[in-house]
Amino acid sequence: MTAIVVGASSGLGRALALELARSGKPLLLIASDARDLDAMASDLRLRFKATVATLAVELAASADPGARILASLADLPPASMLLLAVGMSRSDDDGTLGAVAVGQLLAINLHVPIAITQALLPALLESRGTIVGFGSIAGTRGRSRNIVYAAAKRGLETFFQSLRHRHLPSSLRVQFYRLGFLRSNLTFGLKLPLPVAEPADVARKVVAQLQRGSFARHEPRWWGIIALLVRNLPWFAFRRMRD
Amino acid sequence: MSPRRGFALAETDLRSFDRSEAAHCHVQRPDRYRLLEALPADVQRMSRGSGVSYVGASFASDCVVQDLAAFDRLLDFDGERGLLSVEAGARIGDVARFALAQGWLLPVVPGHPRASIGGCIAADVHGKNPARDGTFRAHVEAIEVFDPHSGWLHLDRNRNAERFHACFAGFGIPGLISKATLRLVPAPGGYSLRGVAVAGLVEAREVLLAHAGAPLLYGWHDGRADRFGRGVIRFGLESKEPVATPTRRPGDLPATVKPWPVCAWNRSGIAAMNRLIAHRHGPGQMHVAVEQAMFPLNEARTYFAGFGAEGFMEAQWLLPHAGYAEFVGSLAGEVARQRPRISLIASKLFDGQAQGFSFDGKGIALAIQLPQPKARVQAAFIAALTELALLHGGRPNLIKDSSLQAEAAQRGIAEFAACRTRLRAFDPQQLHASMLTRRLGL
Repeated sequence: MTAIVVGASSGLGRALALELARSGKPLLLIASDARDLDAMASDLRLRFKATVATLAVELAASADPGARILASLADLPPASMLLLAVGMSRSDDDGTLGAVAVGQLLAINLHVPIAITQALLPALLESRGTIVGFGSIAGTRGRSRNIVYAAAKRGLETFFQSLRHRHLPSSLRVQFYRLGFLRSNLTFGLKLPLPVAEPADVARKVVAQLQRGSFARHEPRWWGIIALLVRNLPWFAFRRMRD
Repeated sequence: MSPRRGFALAETDLRSFDRSEAAHCHVQRPDRYRLLEALPADVQRMSRGSGVSYVGASFASDCVVQDLAAFDRLLDFDGERGLLSVEAGARIGDVARFALAQGWLLPVVPGHPRASIGGCIAADVHGKNPARDGTFRAHVEAIEVFDPHSGWLHLDRNRNAERFHACFAGFGIPGLISKATLRLVPAPGGYSLRGVAVAGLVEAREVLLAHAGAPLLYGWHDGRADRFGRGVIRFGLESKEPVATPTRRPGDLPATVKPWPVCAWNRSGIAAMNRLIAHRHGPGQMHVAVEQAMFPLNEARTYFAGFGAEGFMEAQWLLPHAGYAEFVGSLAGEVARQRPRISLIASKLFDGQAQGFSFDGKGIALAIQLPQPKARVQAAFIAALTELALLHGGRPNLIKDSSLQAEAAQRGIAEFAACRTRLRAFDPQQLHASMLTRRLGL
């Protein structure tokens, strides 16, 4: 049964692909640049003798990304896992972005995962599979930074909540992770107020949970306490939080 | 940097493995090809593999360091012809282990298993017997580089041949090395390793010459004045019977070894270490697994930590056969006169042809490691050693010796200016720079 990793060329997506290949799953890796995908696919085939197919597509620019993915699945075993490690933030997302930039952020963080899910839902239901989405701690409460990004991630969480509401875990496992700070090329070197998780560690946990029901949780788990505090902070105090 | 470029630049302190060179640097850690390309073309940069060069070859204070750690993937393996393509950030230990698992061997590997493939090319490293296997260049079929102005270039002995050759001991100047295709040879089952005791460095040369064809061949020697040059030449022959890698093998030597608070290599420490080496690696015969023989530095973590925060330096000189005995005599005299603390001397036989800035030629290479290189006695000895080596026609290993200055490098490498001109022809705007290239005026 094929596992599909969307956003597979970097960060968490790359770590997920590695972990899934290690566990012997046939893979369909999706990202925007064929060079990254080709390198990843070769490496996973050589190291783990994994079955790997790739699809290079500019997801944010595609009106129907799900259709392209369905076409790529033709020569692979049926899809049973969809991991949507796709997303993008930008440091100037502070309320000053133009319409094009806002559209891109909404597309990659919200429209793309929803559209892909909708397209693959019948196949995942047929295989009684698993769908995994990734939100962000930024979506806990709206702040003056990551404005559009946080809104999109909050929207995505609502979408996953609806999926969980709609489908019993026996027919479709719906798993949603609200991620804390994650080490990536974008967070590299930033002075962040709390520890940064390694994508490889998060990926190990995600893959280990793939068969274990539906849920929404923070990862690393201790971020749940931070989120609880942030949510319940009185408004006058929350307004002062700028970093 | 604009957010559209899609990467962050960290400000961090980087230090050479010998701890002698350090700088506050801007570091980019790209994980996709388009991020490698995203750096504006006019920005000075240097690519960095694992950062395990003894000298500051992969960083400088006012240029962007492009860390290639994410580009560590295996790209293609031809099991019929023994050709392995990898990304340049792949670590030599990982590559060697993959090759061994397929029954193939990379004949030239440096001591540190975390050295990147790109670093091995940029420094044209040598292995355990350069007289037999040459340097790294002999085992590379093709390279891909990224040039900020010309883009991605495929190089081999037929296409862009000049640039291909310039990449070896080019110290990153001909462009960012992104991929390489390596030529492997069938792996032996293991090695039968023997040691021959020698009373001095002159005798060491005779023993090295007598075993020139052995796949493993190097010497370890005492550097203390009263025992100068005593040691053992170890040579390994291929064993037909497979030798299993020990189940409790040491992990790979880390890229950065945390130093002890004080330098352990005072006179007593050095005496104790030499006794230990003589005991563990003295004359006799043993069978070792291939991986064990490739990376002896994995067992040297304590040795490197023992240098303390002040670090160490290694001067490695290739002395022509003709002047070798006289050089050794003069060196012994200098050691007796100045009594420096030498933690280790290693000897190797070379039988190649020097090309560009590569550390190659015909003669005996002596690597001399000293703790606390900035201490007065140590520094004076290093200066005397440099002068003696130059006087006897020695060729310096630029990638090892952080004390080496441009003037000495120019005297030690016959066609220094011409080599530099050839190298910089590929980078006329001097976009690629490191502490090493600046110190040596490359």
